[in-house]
Amino acid sequence: MDIGAIVEIARQTTYAMTPLVLAAIGEIVTEKAGVVNIGLEGIMLLSAFIAVYVAEVTGNPWLGLAAGTVLGAFIGVIHSMISNYLKGDQIISGLGVNLLALGLVPFGIEAVWHVRGYHTVPPEAKVPALPLLRISPVFLLTVLIAVATHYMLNNTGYGRKIRAVGENPEAADVVGVNVELVQTVATVYGAALAGLAGAFLSIDWLSSITKELSAGRGFIALALVNFANWNPLLALAGGALFGITWTAAEWLKIIPEIKAVVPISLLNTLPYIATLVVVAGFIGVSRPPAHIGRPYKRE
Amino acid sequence: MAAGSRGAEHLIEMRGITKIYPDGTVALRGVDFYVRRGEIHGLLGENGAGKTTLMKILSGLLRPTSGEIWVNGRKVSFKSASEALKMGIGMVHQHLALVQVFTVYENIVLGLKAEGDARLRIEKLMEETGLKVPLDVRIENLPFGVRQRAEILKMLYRNVDVLILDEPTTNLTPVETDELFETLRRLKNQGKTVIFITHKLREVLEVTDRVTVLRNGRVVGVVETSKATPQQLAKMMVGREVVFTVSKPPREPGEPILEVRDLWVRNDLGEWAVKGVSFTVKAGEIFGIAGVEGNGQSELIQAITGLRRPEKGRILLEGRDVTGFPPSKLYRMGLGHIPEDRQGLGLVLDMNVAENSILGVQRGRRFMGKFYNLLWSSIRRHASQIIERFAVVAPSLDAPVRSLSGGNQQKLVVGRELSKEPKLIVAAQPTRGLDVAATEYIRKLLVDMRTRGKAVLLVSADLDEVLQLSDRIAVMYEGEFMGIARPEELTREQIGMMMGGYRLAGG
Amino acid sequence: MERQKLIESLYRFAEIMVALIAGFAISGVIMWLGGYDPIKAYRAMLGTSILTTDPYNLAMTLSFSAPIMFTAITFAVGVRAGVFNIGAEGQMYVGALGAVLVAAMSLPGPLYLPLAILFGSLLGALWGAIAGVLKAYKGVNEVVSTIMLNWIAFWVVEYTRVDLLPNPRDPSKTIEMPEPGRLPILLKGTELTASIVLAVVVTLLSYYLLWHTVLGYEIRATGMNPRAARYGGINPERAVLWSFIIGGIAAGLAGVCEIAGRPPHYAITTGLSNLFGYGFDGITVSLIGANHPLGIIPAAIFVGGLTAGARGMQIVAGVPLEMVKAVQGVIIIALAVPGLLRLLKTRLTRGGG
Repeated sequence: MDIGAIVEIARQTTYAMTPLVLAAIGEIVTEKAGVVNIGLEGIMLLSAFIAVYVAEVTGNPWLGLAAGTVLGAFIGVIHSMISNYLKGDQIISGLGVNLLALGLVPFGIEAVWHVRGYHTVPPEAKVPALPLLRISPVFLLTVLIAVATHYMLNNTGYGRKIRAVGENPEAADVVGVNVELVQTVATVYGAALAGLAGAFLSIDWLSSITKELSAGRGFIALALVNFANWNPLLALAGGALFGITWTAAEWLKIIPEIKAVVPISLLNTLPYIATLVVVAGFIGVSRPPAHIGRPYKRE
Repeated sequence: MAAGSRGAEHLIEMRGITKIYPDGTVALRGVDFYVRRGEIHGLLGENGAGKTTLMKILSGLLRPTSGEIWVNGRKVSFKSASEALKMGIGMVHQHLALVQVFTVYENIVLGLKAEGDARLRIEKLMEETGLKVPLDVRIENLPFGVRQRAEILKMLYRNVDVLILDEPTTNLTPVETDELFETLRRLKNQGKTVIFITHKLREVLEVTDRVTVLRNGRVVGVVETSKATPQQLAKMMVGREVVFTVSKPPREPGEPILEVRDLWVRNDLGEWAVKGVSFTVKAGEIFGIAGVEGNGQSELIQAITGLRRPEKGRILLEGRDVTGFPPSKLYRMGLGHIPEDRQGLGLVLDMNVAENSILGVQRGRRFMGKFYNLLWSSIRRHASQIIERFAVVAPSLDAPVRSLSGGNQQKLVVGRELSKEPKLIVAAQPTRGLDVAATEYIRKLLVDMRTRGKAVLLVSADLDEVLQLSDRIAVMYEGEFMGIARPEELTREQIGMMMGGYRLAGG
Repeated sequence: MERQKLIESLYRFAEIMVALIAGFAISGVIMWLGGYDPIKAYRAMLGTSILTTDPYNLAMTLSFSAPIMFTAITFAVGVRAGVFNIGAEGQMYVGALGAVLVAAMSLPGPLYLPLAILFGSLLGALWGAIAGVLKAYKGVNEVVSTIMLNWIAFWVVEYTRVDLLPNPRDPSKTIEMPEPGRLPILLKGTELTASIVLAVVVTLLSYYLLWHTVLGYEIRATGMNPRAARYGGINPERAVLWSFIIGGIAAGLAGVCEIAGRPPHYAITTGLSNLFGYGFDGITVSLIGANHPLGIIPAAIFVGGLTAGARGMQIVAGVPLEMVKAVQGVIIIALAVPGLLRLLKTRLTRGGG
């Protein structure tokens, strides 16, 4: 394989990894605070939709990205209300978000564009790639976010509060940390990043909106959180590994020798199989926050 | 008395405190509790007397149903523990409120705005109080005694005037206990006020200035420690003369039932928890294992009862090698297991009484039909028999076990295990958290079992229990037996030394 | 005690009703924002599914209840064992695949149906068991693994449809179940087949399994307290694995019934469009039915009604079919709130006073 092909694979991988890494970093912060959000998939999907809508109406893709992020944050607020204040079931709340998206997105596509199931993003609503490198500015932003989030978690007082709340909320509460508020901030942050990931999917990378657009990426991001041992920088590196399976699947499809042997449909299973294998192999090595997924009740 | 007029004498005044929990349990019934500035005040009572509830109210963790709290002549109403902490009241719980993966330093400064010269100030504080702690080691890597010091340090760094300690010596060795008492006296000399919750008479007499005794949610009396006797305090605590002995007819032990040979077991972290322990329990004998909790007793029990696989060594039941057998097989061979954690291990709290009555024997011929179907009428009959025979108070067979009191939950567990007619009974902390009546009843049952020729292996952190019931005693320290002896051959001091890691001379 | 149990059940029922109302109300607002008339939509939806005496409509409602009754069992048995098995979707796909594989064989007529049931439930069980083994023995989060398996199943089955077993007369679907292998139609002119009978029977069996067999006892004990289960001589890993296998069988049967008992296709269609979503609907059904087999039956009829009524809603009010899935999403989010009713009561009294 020549250099050109390798560079091209790398370039495409930056696209494939961006949504995974964004959602995973957000979820790392959320889970560090002891909250699980399995609604990432649904947030991605809903934000992907709203991003297309806003970018088209305003003709400004940046507003589209912003809209996706804000919608993600808004769903994060709902999930926080249920999980952190009402002490509800985090898994069921997340499942609800996923199902909601599965209904609302095709409903929205039909309501807005009067087509069934599939809408292509017009060029003026697309996030332009950076010149020369031909990679997305969102990818660069993702790298930045990874580094900043890592710093925030490990080197700031607020990061310490987040980690304390996810490890031992009672200990944090006693010394005056507002457990619910910290959890909410972390949840909203995580959901906002998932929203950005969704917006990136629709108005940047894939230039379309369908109800299958997120294709399980929200759940792969959950796997990535585990694989990265709740470390944002490792999530960036691990994201490259997970991302390359998507790129590889696309490349294998156009190689004639492989095309002749393995049908395209089966190549599509590659990222999912890879995720399963990696997660099964790495479990137990990582250590989740001690108080994850359980609501904190004072009495 | 005018409000706050006695503020000079009493730093803390709790007046008419009543606490009724949402489930209707009345924990406190109009308690008046006064603490003088600069004293060490003992809060004495049995389990369930309301000591911890009262102090959780004072430290802001719980809110009273009615009653008033005055601190320093001012009426207060805390909405949270952090508010109480800001007012200078801090509580050290039995399970310390520390973040395990944080260092001592990170725990001490958690939630504080400006760190600045925090490190210097903490070091100075360590100097003044004698509470020596390594600042940059993670809590999870420190022994319990050191963690407790870190927690006290955390409170002091936040300028508490009133330090509440909830049963602080439970997990300490005698040496560590002495060190803690030394620290408390030093704090008192520096003007701090200490409230010391305990049910141990010796400790109250040793370290406190005054004692308030609680029983059943009421104050029974307040006494100057210097004028108190252990008999008087014990009587106040339980409301009658305490029977300090259980009648135990002499009995010659029979055949060996359980033999443990050079057993090595790891804990969850992969460290050695049991290091080459050997002993034998014979029919008609109670073999007691004493020691500070966390010295490998739990892992030893788990290995014997099939819940944890030993790395090395042999376990024999009636001469048959059963090393590594799963619990189901051991039960069929005659094991009964009263686990130390009845709520987490011995019962499924959300299942009902009938369902819990067959846990462990659900596949027995009496309860399971040909098609793996449950024989409900037989199960219900069995459950009724246990309830009747062991005096379990339960609203019905369909009531979830969660709704039973702690004592009745334990009676259900004990009843279930004993009604298996086992040859070997492993009982771990069988009376922990129970009231006096239930405690005596369960101890009597264990002795009855011994008298009827069963082998009993008893593990308890309650030294009196081990001494009263056992025919032979082993003391466990850091995974090893410090010695095995008959109780009458040992003095308390000798046992204390063994619990602190000294081998029995000649043992 | 009996009385208290009754009060508790009534309370739970009221809570579910509140969640249902919330689902309709919030979705109504969304419809209204999208420029539709929610009243008209709901009237059409319920009027052509549940709140009607028209046998055709009722039959359609029941026909849509069948697959989601099966997939609800998948989720419910998982929850009872303490796991969130959201893989009914994929397990149903492979179950359907099993039926199609049987359909592609040339067999004596009476053998088709039993073999399809056997094959489909076996494949479903196998697919569930993969997640079960990963969960029980490797600790892999079942939420992640089941979704991955759903996608793998999707593409594998899609591959079979396109490349292995395409229908020679209609390339948009697979080979269809031959006449003798089909479940009998219960009401002429509708899609209601004996699938619903099978679904109800299997649901009742799952009730018997959970509360009247030792395996069910062990599964429930594991779900409520795995440590106590281990103490009780139960192998909790094995109990979890069994819950995945049982769930996989149920989901696999859902797939089989869609092939053997759904006119007019009797086959898997493009993009698995005639299967897509039933697995997730099962989650809604199970949660509305309080994860109890006897609650699942009415809940499945209700959600089946939503699905059946969606067509009426689209025709009369022009609202896209998928809106009913959004309604379900809101209902589930509302169900995640504990003590919903109590909460509402305190808010209302506070607001009033």
